[in-house]
Amino acid sequence: MDNNLLQQLNDTLADTVERVQSSLAQIVNGRGAGAGTIWHPDGLIVTNAHVVRGRHGLHVVLPGGQRLPAAVIAYDEPLDLAALSVEAAGLPTIAVGDSRQVRPGQWVMAVGHPWGVIGAVTSGVVIGAGAQLPEVGQMQPGREWIALDLHMRPGHSGGPVVDSAGRLIGINTMITGPDVGFAIPVHVVKAFLKERLGTQKMAV
Amino acid sequence: MSDILQTLSDAMADAVQQAGRSIVRVEARRRMPASGFVWSADGLIVTAHHVVEHEENIRIGLPDGSQTKAALVGRDPNTDLAVLRAETGGLTVPAWAEADAVRVGHLALAVGRPSGQLQATLGVVSALSHSPNENHFFAQTDVVMYPGFSGGALVSASGQIIGLNTSALMRGASLTVQTPTLRFVVESLLRHGRMRRGYLGVGVQPARLPKALAEQIGQKSGVLVMSVEPDSPAERGGLFMGDTILAVDGQTIENGEDLVSSLGGGRIGQSVPVRILRGGQVQELQITIGERG
Repeated sequence: MDNNLLQQLNDTLADTVERVQSSLAQIVNGRGAGAGTIWHPDGLIVTNAHVVRGRHGLHVVLPGGQRLPAAVIAYDEPLDLAALSVEAAGLPTIAVGDSRQVRPGQWVMAVGHPWGVIGAVTSGVVIGAGAQLPEVGQMQPGREWIALDLHMRPGHSGGPVVDSAGRLIGINTMITGPDVGFAIPVHVVKAFLKERLGTQKMAV
Repeated sequence: MSDILQTLSDAMADAVQQAGRSIVRVEARRRMPASGFVWSADGLIVTAHHVVEHEENIRIGLPDGSQTKAALVGRDPNTDLAVLRAETGGLTVPAWAEADAVRVGHLALAVGRPSGQLQATLGVVSALSHSPNENHFFAQTDVVMYPGFSGGALVSASGQIIGLNTSALMRGASLTVQTPTLRFVVESLLRHGRMRRGYLGVGVQPARLPKALAEQIGQKSGVLVMSVEPDSPAERGGLFMGDTILAVDGQTIENGEDLVSSLGGGRIGQSVPVRILRGGQVQELQITIGERG
């Protein structure tokens, strides 16, 4: 059945999921938990600001199950972005894509820990991208988002949204209903890291 | 082999982009704008009836980013369709998917332009409801109707428009008015400004036929005439309370829906044979179908 298109598609989907899960972290913050994405092999992890808010006993659980204390090294409440550092080296990082080239209708996948289910996946398509989206356009005028037609839940926050090649195009951040999620475009994340951390620990 | 997902992703975005050349923003209500699409290059636009709340000051956002005014040509609440005429020309007419090209299980994208930019959601065709005699071609899908998507298009994998999406006709599911019904309604709206519906002037309820008769004429039920409006086509044609209507113009009538569908716009003003059961005898009357005002 290896010439069955759907079977090929399923295999590719599963491979893509595995690749993305290998750089997916859990962020444990007191009782709450969210997701994070390993950005640099030396322990730089990107997540949402709201996932680390409070910062009591902040820990990161790496894909292999290793649990490490984490320090917040950059934090932006309005942007809802944070960068964490853990003492580690040689971590698998995620490939970074181009969120300025996002097209409505293109395939996407979000990975996180919805309701505490580790590494769970939801897939769908990009609804639209930019600053003129009906539901969020008025909240912070001029702010860019990627609107997603997939089923995000609490626990997806801070996790990666990837394109069909498994490249990071956004950080899962919020939902406006059971079927619509919003991600911060990865070019906004890059700018945030560059501004706050300079070139230190930047992926190249 | 790892290209397959990339190929699928590109194909979906390409389909959205191709159909998107014909998809417009429709501003005809106080709340958020909705969507519509090009019907003819000289400015006809189809959209959903329920998103056209004011008939003055309708504005269309074209795919190239420009804006134009539009006037209402006609609307049909039954199919939730409205036709607008935009003060422009040179529009891109989409490629149409015929009703029989769509199958349950097919991938399809809902595409709208409420914000001025193209937006899309993905789903599958869940069910089809086709009844060619009544020009009834609908598809049900599981696409998410994002705010402002009503009046937009359901787009096939090859970028053809399957029909017009509406969230108003059915609760909890997305419904698409497919191309043959679109064509039928739009043509009627262009000619008459509304959908013409035939009028008989009777109140009816379904009635089971005596077994012997049912076997003889090959139908199990008809509709029993409970009331006849004064000076109606039914009264003028000699129909009485207590008659059972069996057929109109050769079309079998077994329930109220059959009777409604037999009174489509095409029979208005025509004298048609109506077969009835009266006092145990099958008879035929000639009735001139009126028009519902």
